[in-house]
Amino acid sequence: MALRVPVNLRKNLSVVLYAFQGLSIVAVIVGLASLLLLPLDEYSRRTYISENALLPGQVHAYFGGSEQNIVRAFRREVDLLGNSTSDVVAERMAEIFRSAGLKVGKQRYSYKAAGGEYTGENVYAVLHAPRGDATEAIVLCAPWRNIDHLLNEGGVALTLALSRYFKRWSLWSKDIIFLISSDARAGPQAWVDAYHDLHGENIQSLSVKSGAIQGVVVVDYPGAYHRFESLHIIYDGINGQLPNLDLINTAVQISRDQMGLRTDLQEMWNHDDSYRHRLRTMLRGMVNQALGHSTGPHSSFIPYHIDAITLAAHGNGWHDEGSLGRTVESLFRSLNNLLEHFHQSFFFYLLMAPKRFVSIGTYLPSAMLLAVGLTLTAIRLWVDPRSRSGEEKVENAEKSEKSEKDEKAKEDDKKPVEVVAIDSGPKRELFLPMSIVIGVHFCGVIPFAVFNSIDYKSMASVFYIFIATSVILPTLISILITLTASPHRLLPAFHLSRCFSLLFLGMFLSTLATLNFSLSFLIGLFSLPLTFARTTPKSIPLALVNSILLQLTSPFAALFAVAGYWGLGVEDILKEASFGWWVWGMWTPVVVWCVWWPAWVVGRISVDSSFVMAVTGKSS
Amino acid sequence: MKLANWGSLALLSLFPSSCLAHSQHTSNWAVLVSTSRFWFNYRHLANVLSMYRTVKRLGIPDSQIILMLSDDVACNPRNTFPGTVYNNADRAIDLYGDNIEVDYRGYEVTVENFIRLLTDRVPPDTPRSKRLLTDDRSNIFIYMTGHGGNEFLKFQDAEEISAFDIADAFQQMFEKKRYNEMLFMIDTCQANTMYSKFYSPNILATGSSELDQSSYSHHADNDVGVAVIDRYTYFNLEYLETHVKNASSKHTLADLFSSYDPVKIASTPGIRTDLFRRDLSEVLITDFLGNVQSVEVDGDGMILDEDLLALARSAGYNITEQEWKDAMTGGYHEKTQEERDTVVGEQRTWEGPARVHKHPEADFWRNVMSAGAVGVCLLGYWVFSMIDKV
Repeated sequence: MALRVPVNLRKNLSVVLYAFQGLSIVAVIVGLASLLLLPLDEYSRRTYISENALLPGQVHAYFGGSEQNIVRAFRREVDLLGNSTSDVVAERMAEIFRSAGLKVGKQRYSYKAAGGEYTGENVYAVLHAPRGDATEAIVLCAPWRNIDHLLNEGGVALTLALSRYFKRWSLWSKDIIFLISSDARAGPQAWVDAYHDLHGENIQSLSVKSGAIQGVVVVDYPGAYHRFESLHIIYDGINGQLPNLDLINTAVQISRDQMGLRTDLQEMWNHDDSYRHRLRTMLRGMVNQALGHSTGPHSSFIPYHIDAITLAAHGNGWHDEGSLGRTVESLFRSLNNLLEHFHQSFFFYLLMAPKRFVSIGTYLPSAMLLAVGLTLTAIRLWVDPRSRSGEEKVENAEKSEKSEKDEKAKEDDKKPVEVVAIDSGPKRELFLPMSIVIGVHFCGVIPFAVFNSIDYKSMASVFYIFIATSVILPTLISILITLTASPHRLLPAFHLSRCFSLLFLGMFLSTLATLNFSLSFLIGLFSLPLTFARTTPKSIPLALVNSILLQLTSPFAALFAVAGYWGLGVEDILKEASFGWWVWGMWTPVVVWCVWWPAWVVGRISVDSSFVMAVTGKSS
Repeated sequence: MKLANWGSLALLSLFPSSCLAHSQHTSNWAVLVSTSRFWFNYRHLANVLSMYRTVKRLGIPDSQIILMLSDDVACNPRNTFPGTVYNNADRAIDLYGDNIEVDYRGYEVTVENFIRLLTDRVPPDTPRSKRLLTDDRSNIFIYMTGHGGNEFLKFQDAEEISAFDIADAFQQMFEKKRYNEMLFMIDTCQANTMYSKFYSPNILATGSSELDQSSYSHHADNDVGVAVIDRYTYFNLEYLETHVKNASSKHTLADLFSSYDPVKIASTPGIRTDLFRRDLSEVLITDFLGNVQSVEVDGDGMILDEDLLALARSAGYNITEQEWKDAMTGGYHEKTQEERDTVVGEQRTWEGPARVHKHPEADFWRNVMSAGAVGVCLLGYWVFSMIDKV
């Protein structure tokens, strides 16, 4: 008798339903837990140099001595030009480059975003490799003003001095481009777009070009002369793309082992390699990745598959321009050694300490499991007999619903589970739920278009109007549907619309997880209430709780959270999003408004219909 | 009772037994191969150029060295010192200085070309500099370096040669009588696996590291920015430079092999002697790495005027230079076309000196003396056997 299957699955559907529910809960819990396990030694790995050609720190760096006086002279030069317009600056920089014997190009650009205009003039110089074949190039970049709008005195002065210094070496296999961008956000984007002939009409083409860019190092050393304490390596690119891990490892190894310079990641200044600090570093990296914005001039290069990092001087210590210059020199010698594009090491990784990381194979399951949790819930909703609109089954469905796990505490009547066969009962009616889901997803274009086209000034007010609309809209839709549709179709319609919406969200998030893990994970996290918030016309308190939960995990709440995290106003975040869309081609707003927001609205419709049905008495 | 045997032995030793004198080789060849490409493999090129320098120093001429250089690091734009290759951070010796003859360069260094070179299956238009023109009296030194693994060696980042390929190529060489003895030396990771499949006789093999062991570089030059030499090669060279000063050195391979220190080399070097028939303590390093001192003249249609004339005079022939020249060339021009054809056909016969027999009576006496010597020997044999019977 032991071999007999205890339950006939086709006859007793509740087992299947429970199994799906259990599985989706397990998937979500395991997904969350595995992310928290990553910083442990057992799950993360020490970084290592994968590309043999790089040979980091194997050369003596000679920058220093009298070169330091030249840096200081240039620093004075930069200081004097501090408040000049960008064309004056560009002309003077071009003069200095020319006097070093380099080919010089200048580029004006102008972007319009969020009602503002972003203009400037980049200036750059090309050092042709004396014995190279001019098919490849590496870029040393210093923004005139850094990402915090501070005058990048040290960085620009060092770049000017290094341009003269590098000219004296004859061992370059690649051309070296010295780029002084007008700012840290739009300038590099305009330059790299024009370099690849993909620039818009308000951006000048480049007069001088070189070969394919293999690597970019940005020097950020703002403010008046001071000695710094550590190097902050910034590596996040647009849309959460990352440079090859080998570049970061090379920079870390050179600055730490060769120069004795501490390196920091993600603004973790006192990293003691403990679990807490590793987790915080990882989470900060994930937030930056999820937002997909530019974190420095290097970010604009990464979508072109150019590996780029920013080296930012931080704090007050005993390192001076010499240390930074030697680090850059040694790093350039390593880049010079490259034989082909960076390809050996990882492009998908999470760093948790300068020398510790997890690769995609280890971290991907956690985001995937969240997405799988959503998909499993969607499948469960489809299998559930409540998705069928037959009148005679509605009663049964209501009863079986009560036995579901989440509700157990709140439901006091514990009726036995009804036995329902899979293929029994009437057909599912798909038209209404499909049109709800598709319609709402199309509506997602509206906020996206609106926020990308309005002025910065009106952004805050429009945003609050939009929140109000988003709060009312689902209620209105649910009222409309409840009043027009016949009562026995109502519950299945809301049920199936949740099913489709979750199915779409699960599919989208699992795809997104391979491209931008962090964004997928965070949206998956915020979407968890969608898996259990449903139409409960018989339990208004539960509907109320669900409604509040949904409000707390709405895209707006996330926006406020991000604004609070950066200490900015919501309008600044929206401006950044608009700027990101128009200048960098940042996809985060598309994902938020066209995928997440519709899923949230569909969830709200299902929950709000509980109230409407209770009020109109259509629940029975 | 044994006296007769002793006597016979003593007598036998009197005979100029030319048939036993052939165990010596008559030429030394070296095939030096680096198989790695790319700038960061600078050390492999330096390895092979160091060995090239050593065999040239010990007298093997460029015509008998096949140098296969897989990349040109000297002219790499990344080279801080253009046109040079150094094997030490002190940069005392520029290995790429003067007088370098690279026979196979860059992408010519392939598995196919290497095996064709060994087995001499080359296209007919192949220049002599790219051929291994050895015979069964040639000793060959084969040195290889690159990136290897278990029973393979990577060529050019694109293909591999396996231990079986090399073993089969060596067997073909043996069958084609292309070598007398061979010294195979290899410096790669897991190098000892490369010679584990050899099965042809008279091959002595040595490698830098065992199965699952890496071979490491010795040190890096911080201005060139790369490692400049591998450990195994470095310590081989150290021994050769300090001990084997010139081609007449009496150091043996046993000395060289016993100088290997696994601690210094950081891997366990291996030696395979089971295919080799001589005792290593009798094998001079210069039997492979140096110039051959002994010369065998086989009269290959050559005209050794002065030396041979002097020899003839010292043998008692009283001839003038003019007579000698006439003997060598005279009559040659007077011959008819048919005669000339026959002469061309038997060009390798030594007919010139036959004309210098001026004194037939001397020949007669020499014959008498030879017959007498044989007679004395026979007499001695007969006497000893009689004593034995008594």
